[in-house]
Amino acid sequence: MRLPLEDKKFELYSIREEKTDGAFGAYPAERKIEQKIDFGFVLLDKPSGIRSKTAAATAKKILAPLGAKKIGYSGTLEA
Amino acid sequence: MPLAINSATKALAELLVGGKEYIALMHVHKDFELDDLNKTLKQFTGVISQLPPVRSNVKRQYRDREIYYLDVLEIEGNDVLFKVGVQSGTYIRKLISDIGEKLGTGAHMIELRRTKVSTLSEKSGLVTLQDLDDAVYFYQNEKDDRLLKKCIQNIEDALDFMPKVIVSDEAVDTVAHGSPVAVPGITGFNHFDKGDRIFISTLKGELIAIGNAVMSSDELLSAKGGIAVKNDTVIMKTGLYPAYHRQNQT
Repeated sequence: MRLPLEDKKFELYSIREEKTDGAFGAYPAERKIEQKIDFGFVLLDKPSGIRSKTAAATAKKILAPLGAKKIGYSGTLEA
Repeated sequence: MPLAINSATKALAELLVGGKEYIALMHVHKDFELDDLNKTLKQFTGVISQLPPVRSNVKRQYRDREIYYLDVLEIEGNDVLFKVGVQSGTYIRKLISDIGEKLGTGAHMIELRRTKVSTLSEKSGLVTLQDLDDAVYFYQNEKDDRLLKKCIQNIEDALDFMPKVIVSDEAVDTVAHGSPVAVPGITGFNHFDKGDRIFISTLKGELIAIGNAVMSSDELLSAKGGIAVKNDTVIMKTGLYPAYHRQNQT
């Protein structure tokens, strides 16, 4: 079964054809780790029994040497 | 559980507006007929009215929430395992107790697992803390980034349900500084309505910022100038693209 968002399809209207300079930024699929860290997210398989907050803090510690200064999580279960 | 790193954390709020899917285990307090259960569950799909629980972060008044689907996966005695796709802000514990009341038996929730947020599902690459630790080890000690590249996904992929406005290289840095998106800087866009949340993108598909559309895409098509999107959440660091001085400014 699918949520309504999953079937959303977008058509692209092009106003003008324009080239992008490869010297700046990077295509998301070609990002190096240093670039990826600022645009990154991780889908964590949280161990049951530990709090989301604890899991996020552990992940932050693991990723800190790569330059992760901030980790945010979306953990509201709305139970 | 989606974890976002550094400035990508600012985009997390966008994920919350999308729907969610859960697998829940419901315990029914008395014996029931399968027919009655199916009939009752049917009444809990589509738009339902729900009173948020006493302990919640929202005002306690009935509000409409849409249940997109509700499928029973397994029944064992009085325990019913089901999968449910819901609009954001639906309380599952409350849903189950309402189902129990309607069924005439009473019921409560034993277990809950969230399986989708917006377009992110468990299938889109779940990693454990151990995976992540291993990946960082390989990257740092063996200069092998393959595992880590798999663990860390691009925030753009999590926001693929948002309409985009694409701007030229020249406009990127001003948007990264927080400036609104002006019509002349736009090279392409998806369909959107006035007020929609917009993914402001580079030509390479990088997320620069997120903001509200101040005109609809139809209006944009015929607009010669003016502001199209007011950006309120900048993701990209400044300086990634060159700064062009606005020479036309008087």
